[in-house]
Amino acid sequence: MPIPLPPRTPTPPSAVDDAPNQHAFQALDRDALSPLVDTFPKSASLETATKDHVSPTIPSFNPTPENGASDSDPAGPFNFSTTVMAKGPVPKSQQNIGQRRGHKYKHSSISHQIFMEPPPRAPLALPNSLPIPTFKEYRISMSKEQKTRFWWSVCHMFVAAYTLWTAHGSLAMTALSHLILFDSLGALLCVVVDVLSNFEVWKRSSVRHPFGLERAEVLAGFAMCVLLLFMGLDLISHNLQHLLEKAGHEPHHSHEHDRVSLGSVDVTAVLAISSTLVSAMGLKNHARIGKAMRFAYIESLPSVLSNPSHFLTLSCSALLLLLPLVSIRIYDWLDKLLSGTIAISMCVLGTRLVKTLGSMLLMSYSGQGVADVIKDIEAEPSVFGIDDVRFWQVHYGLCMANLKLRVAGSDENLARLREKISSLIRNRLGGGYGSGGQKWEVSLQFTVERT
Amino acid sequence: MCLNFAFMLVQLAYGILTGSLGLLSDSIHMFFDCLALVVGLCAAVMSKWPPNARFPYGYGKVDTLSGFANGIFLMIISLEIIYEAVERLSTGSQMHRISELLAVSIAGLAVNLVGIFSFEHGHAHHGHDHGHDHSHGNENMHGIFLHILADTLGSVAVVISTVLVHYSGWSGYDPLASCFIAILIFASAVPLVSSTAQTLLLTLPADTEYNVRETLAGVSTLRGVVGYTVPKFWLDDTATVSSDHSHDHGHGSCDHSHSHSQTHDHGHLHHHDHSHGGHDHDHDHAHEHEHRSQKVLGVIHVIASRGADLEDVRQRTVTFLQEKNMDIVVQVERDGDGRCWCGGGNKGI
Repeated sequence: MPIPLPPRTPTPPSAVDDAPNQHAFQALDRDALSPLVDTFPKSASLETATKDHVSPTIPSFNPTPENGASDSDPAGPFNFSTTVMAKGPVPKSQQNIGQRRGHKYKHSSISHQIFMEPPPRAPLALPNSLPIPTFKEYRISMSKEQKTRFWWSVCHMFVAAYTLWTAHGSLAMTALSHLILFDSLGALLCVVVDVLSNFEVWKRSSVRHPFGLERAEVLAGFAMCVLLLFMGLDLISHNLQHLLEKAGHEPHHSHEHDRVSLGSVDVTAVLAISSTLVSAMGLKNHARIGKAMRFAYIESLPSVLSNPSHFLTLSCSALLLLLPLVSIRIYDWLDKLLSGTIAISMCVLGTRLVKTLGSMLLMSYSGQGVADVIKDIEAEPSVFGIDDVRFWQVHYGLCMANLKLRVAGSDENLARLREKISSLIRNRLGGGYGSGGQKWEVSLQFTVERT
Repeated sequence: MCLNFAFMLVQLAYGILTGSLGLLSDSIHMFFDCLALVVGLCAAVMSKWPPNARFPYGYGKVDTLSGFANGIFLMIISLEIIYEAVERLSTGSQMHRISELLAVSIAGLAVNLVGIFSFEHGHAHHGHDHGHDHSHGNENMHGIFLHILADTLGSVAVVISTVLVHYSGWSGYDPLASCFIAILIFASAVPLVSSTAQTLLLTLPADTEYNVRETLAGVSTLRGVVGYTVPKFWLDDTATVSSDHSHDHGHGSCDHSHSHSQTHDHGHLHHHDHSHGGHDHDHDHAHEHEHRSQKVLGVIHVIASRGADLEDVRQRTVTFLQEKNMDIVVQVERDGDGRCWCGGGNKGI
């Protein structure tokens, strides 16, 4: 039996306990509060001890009233000696039952067990609501590293603006600048999330925010994907417009800036590549996105490239590096092709991300293997049936499995079954330990069927 | 919506035929609108789907999600409009073919107005038919409504600014008007986004939070319960609310949404619904009723005292929670048996 108990720390009987569910115990313990240690008959104590020894699971309150009744009269000089023994602050007021024999049986594990029964009040405290940090607190709490990251992501955004500014009507450059903007926003989001996790409200669950605020990250990711989708559609529409414009009878301003100077394209492309790389390495800005969705065919590439978003940015800017080397005619053609490709791939990426994150926000679990797990659970001999199965993903790192089962068996068997099922779920769906999979919180409601 | 789509096609065809830039961009804008509308309507349909293994809590949140996406979309659009307006102001581009533009924008305005009226009519009717499953549809509808409203405002602005430009000759009115409209759109999208975000974060509204706290205090007084850990509750969003209040006439949605956000746009919607809905005098009860009948789902790990019968504790906890209209998965653990991830047994002392 685990004994998480600190040394019995007797308190003055005057300590007030007003927790509501304690009435029954309190009624019994009231008389037991009087110091009775000196008059305690040895045989009685032995008897209780042995009794408890035999059946440790049976609550041992029964002895207390007898004992308390039998030795209610004597005055207690012993209170003084016991208080001396109390080390440190007295945590709970309930423990004053233990005081009855505390000094005698302090070292006996059995007596500890006996007097553990009165439940402590601590867990009954309602989970308090945690304050959401204001912006000022937020700023103050940033560590130095986080500040550096923040400024870096701002720099990244400036790179995006610079790219847009130097685009000069080159469609591919405009598209690239949109991509970089998305990247930099991702980086910024990363920083914000990182700083927010300084606060307790982010992780701890309270009644108001049952999962903390961590889901906000998914939400922000979703918003960004909407942005990506929008930018892709916007680019496509611009492309179409240009195309039609040129096909139509307004050719007068289509060639006023048909070619970007060689130097600026190179500078921009190099800037884009470097900033993307720095963000990808230093901030891991789309790591979560990469984890949330996988393209099988890109995954075989080395680390940075395996992320679809980085892959897109990097390949685009690399192609841009080559652009000025070709002749004007091909350039014109290639430019359009490239921007069209970027736009379409942005749309595809955006759609997939929106789907993934949206389903997460809809409280679902998108991984495979749930059916197998359910089948395995059903195959357990002591499980009669499954009433309700709910597997869902809360946010990037946490999933929940809530099941209602109809079972049969003794208490120990059920405890074992519970452990078995939760480890089954965890191993099957969480990808084992250390692989960076999601954490699973498993809750099982057992309805015991007597047969 | 079909009307919108048809109009867009006509515009597109005409634009391609004549090669007019203004028409083209407008038709593309129209396409975006149609897309948003399609998404919104799909969401409205999807939210009625029953839950399945993949989506264990149903599709009730699709509505909210689409409202959120719509709000974000509006925000982005308004930002883009401002950006373009600033660009145009700084470069001072000239407008050509004013009369054509005017005609198109007036036509667009007409389409949008028709859209608004049909939408509201449809909404009111919808509310009449199955008002009870509107507990959250309002957000989606709100998003769509905002979108159409924004379009209409945009058309109005274009008409006014075109007229102004035509008479005064200064072409700066157009960007200014679009800036103004963009700011309006942005401001109206903010409350929508924040309220939907709250729902998607699974945040409990204040009154539910109060009730839940009360209930938790009640749980701890049950016999044999030593404590509980990881209480996590959220609101049920599935459309299949109990059928005993099907006489809500769609006002439930309005009343309900008041608790979420008091935007003036909402007031607008509310007002219109009233004018369509007719009899709506004593529905404050419906509002409360609906609130109470919105189920709270969740998980709790109850720690039973060492002597208590686990099954008994579970049964009493579940019935207690069910009385409070909470459908909770209750995992009962033995005190001191700290093997669960919630750490319940260890926290015992």
